[in-house]
Amino acid sequence: MALLDIKNLTLYMDIGDETVKALEKVSFKLQEGEIKALVGESGSGKTLVVKAIIGALPDYWRIKADRLTYKGQDLLNMTYEQRRQIMRREIAVVFQEPTSSLDPSVKLGEQIEESIPEEFIKKGWFWKRNKQRKEIAKGLIHKVGIIDHKHWLNCYPHEIPSDISQKIMIAMALASEPAILIADDSTRGMETTTKTQVLRLLLKLNKTKNLSILFVSHDLLAITSIATSMTVLYCGQTVESGKVKSLLKRPLHPYTKALLDSAPSFQIDLAPKSPLKALNGTIPSLQHLPAGCRLGPRCPNARKECVHVPIMRSIQDHHYSCHFPLHFSQKGKKGSSALDETQEQETFNLTNPAIEEEVDD
Amino acid sequence: MIKLFIRYINLMVLTIFALLVLSFILPFLFPGDLLTNISGITPETAEQRKVLEQAFMLNENIFAQFQMYIENLLSGNWGVSSSSQISLFEEISSAFPATLELVFYALLVATFVGIPVGFLAGLRHHNLADFSVVTFSIVGYSFPVFWLALVFITLFCLQLEWLPISGRIDLLFEIEHVTGFIFIDIFLSGLEESKAAFKDAVRHAILPTLSISIVTTALFVRFTRRSIMDVMEKGYIVAAKSRGFTQWQIFRKHSFKNALVPILPILALQISTLFTNAMIVETIFSWPGIGNWLIQAIYQQDYPAIRAGMLVVALFVLTLTITIEFITRAIDTTKDETARAAV
Amino acid sequence: MPRFDLYQEEYHPSPLQNVWIEFKRSHLAVVGLIFIVIFLLITIFVPILAPYNPDLQNTNTLLLPPAWEANGTISHLFGTDALGRDVFSRLLYGARVTFGSSLTIVFVAVLMGVGVGAIAGLLSGVRSSIVNHLFDSIMSIPTLLIAIVVVAIMGTGLYNTMFAITLALIPQFIHQTRSFVKAELSKNYVLLDKLDGASSVRIFFTSIIPSMFELIVVQATIALSIAILDISALGFLSLGAQNPRIELGQILSQSLETAYVAPWLIALPGLFIFMMVLAVNIVGEGLRSALRNRFNH
Repeated sequence: MALLDIKNLTLYMDIGDETVKALEKVSFKLQEGEIKALVGESGSGKTLVVKAIIGALPDYWRIKADRLTYKGQDLLNMTYEQRRQIMRREIAVVFQEPTSSLDPSVKLGEQIEESIPEEFIKKGWFWKRNKQRKEIAKGLIHKVGIIDHKHWLNCYPHEIPSDISQKIMIAMALASEPAILIADDSTRGMETTTKTQVLRLLLKLNKTKNLSILFVSHDLLAITSIATSMTVLYCGQTVESGKVKSLLKRPLHPYTKALLDSAPSFQIDLAPKSPLKALNGTIPSLQHLPAGCRLGPRCPNARKECVHVPIMRSIQDHHYSCHFPLHFSQKGKKGSSALDETQEQETFNLTNPAIEEEVDD
Repeated sequence: MIKLFIRYINLMVLTIFALLVLSFILPFLFPGDLLTNISGITPETAEQRKVLEQAFMLNENIFAQFQMYIENLLSGNWGVSSSSQISLFEEISSAFPATLELVFYALLVATFVGIPVGFLAGLRHHNLADFSVVTFSIVGYSFPVFWLALVFITLFCLQLEWLPISGRIDLLFEIEHVTGFIFIDIFLSGLEESKAAFKDAVRHAILPTLSISIVTTALFVRFTRRSIMDVMEKGYIVAAKSRGFTQWQIFRKHSFKNALVPILPILALQISTLFTNAMIVETIFSWPGIGNWLIQAIYQQDYPAIRAGMLVVALFVLTLTITIEFITRAIDTTKDETARAAV
Repeated sequence: MPRFDLYQEEYHPSPLQNVWIEFKRSHLAVVGLIFIVIFLLITIFVPILAPYNPDLQNTNTLLLPPAWEANGTISHLFGTDALGRDVFSRLLYGARVTFGSSLTIVFVAVLMGVGVGAIAGLLSGVRSSIVNHLFDSIMSIPTLLIAIVVVAIMGTGLYNTMFAITLALIPQFIHQTRSFVKAELSKNYVLLDKLDGASSVRIFFTSIIPSMFELIVVQATIALSIAILDISALGFLSLGAQNPRIELGQILSQSLETAYVAPWLIALPGLFIFMMVLAVNIVGEGLRSALRNRFNH
């Protein structure tokens, strides 16, 4: 059973007489022990997905989902208290700006000790318990690779450099020994050495503690170095998802291809001083979302059918949602010979029933 | 920490000095006879004039006069009131505590009602309860204090006859003036009727306190609510929520401190408004405080009284405000020098 | 329906227009604004609006209750006072003095406070921080005290009390402007201007003043409400406007003698002052909300 199972998550808001869907039918599964990357540009809705999972959405968003479960428990319909308990022990989040996630008026040591759940402290006189807390905090700090704990634990958040504070955030997240760690763009803006340290730390945690990680980012290098599977998000729609290796080897969606193309490190044959490849245009704003496949206006492959939302299909666990995926012939999916279509799955397409007839069995 | 202390001590010394200089200059600015303005005594013969001039060193240079002034102040020789010929020191020391009492009670109400209400309204905002709190607070700090006092008098004293109009205590009770604070004095007097005296004093104190505390409480509510709403949007609150803390835990450990500390200076500024309002209200309720006394002094053109009264009140308010600012800076560990809480 | 939803012509209002749009959303704030406009009109047009000469004493109609009471007449809408003068006209004239003098006070305080504060902010130095703290302390002297001293020196009267209150309000403008200018000067966009060779004065006028405008407007509304309250309080204490000048607080103090028989003489003038201050505060609060939320579209 998947740890985190999200299917057809839609986030919408009614403005006047229009409905704006910030997220439309986002689906992915996080298995145990897996490191999954959630990739997308800024504005693609990655943070909204994280917020929907942890329950920190502002009130004006409404959620609709076929499934949004953690270990089989439905997150949408549980009480606030149950959700809070799950957030407390099972899921931990590391946010983007480490300094702003820390209370500026409390010392770091106190903040770490605060995140240690009560259950871990054995009964005893309160000074014994305090000592225990300090011990556990020390252990956590060492685990994330900070050696001089005596100094750092006595500082205030504005006095420490950002790499240490990010590691401390990870330590605080680990305090409750969670099953899932969600890292919301936590390596953004870091210099490479720090980034490598953090990524290596995450990898180690995944291997040794079987910690599942949902790594939200747009940093392809980081993703490819640690993630096993990835889901690409564009403008609130899941565009492609599958194992990192297969996406790298053969991206099926034009957007994924554009994403990979835009990272120079992935182009082995890029001549020096050649222009970087990028898709024309920018991400549309919420008020002007294109109908159908949202990449439509920018997609080099776009055709008439793209006004309808494509349904999610999959080939050997590599899911994609495109009418004219790459590596298929110009005629479309029907009668393509280039691939081995052993399995086909379809999801129920709510927008246009007419499309269903195109699907083979 | 020591540096901060020294800085604030410097500031306090500077401000006090500025005040003293100002107070020293005042008699020269007031209309009328300089000597009367300084001493309160109108010299009737040339002899008396000479004696007074000697006493205040008017023939010497300005620095000697200033020095004389300071010496007089410190020794309690504040001159006499030109209208009542009573020692100013005596008059002020009986009048000022009365005002302090009013201010203190109103501050108590504002702190223990205003701040919690502000917190509650800010924590669950944009619902009906919050909206009514905001409405009451805007209405509250829009009231002219003197009008509020008059309306109360008309309602509670004249029409309903529940509460007395004027004074601190019924003239029947003769409480010895020990500290100037009526409730303490009642305790110390040991009269058999002290319980009745106590109740009577309370009845006298209700309306004046209510009149001034409504305005200040409304302001406290507004500042607290805004401050905690700002804090709730900060990143670390979201992070704490994601770690699964309950609302109450987050409040206790994080929001409370971070919301209260930035607004302490603003709240301290309200003390001066409290004093202004208390002084106005005293004239309406014939509360024997320093506001009442000063206003009478102005009507009677009692310049020595005005000068002495102004010095005492200004010194007190300034010292208090600077002290509160210092304490705020001392306990504020965020070192965010540019962040002044927005209003 | 178009085949592809290409980006239409987008209407992006300027930040200032955004403030107005957001302000309009709160009906209460708009009502407050209407009231302020009404008071403004009263201040300017009162000779035309008032039905009677406010000083006209009519011994036949002493202490008439307002028109809605049993003994009142419609010709004296709010009744008459102890000398037979029409209360409504007196209130209008009084409102003119109260509101008009408060506006003047705030105007002068803003000009002087912002001017001095800007200069203080532009010329920085160690000394300026001491001066800053000194001003901070002066800010905390009770306004009534300043008024008493000024009145003692200069005598009673409307202009003297206006002077006193202006003195009391200037320090906070100096302080706010100074901290704002200092904060802006340390920002990067100013550094860019400086690198381009702009002088401090030029930077001030082109970059800093526009952003300061909003701060000053918000401060001014707070100052206006304080000014109205203080002017009327001083009028009430007979330290301010003197006869024959009419001012709302002064009317209130005159009504004290007849408080038992004519409670409306106390209620109505105070109500006028209250509504003035309430309108200013509502508009101020609405402005603050609008400035905070203007980008939430």
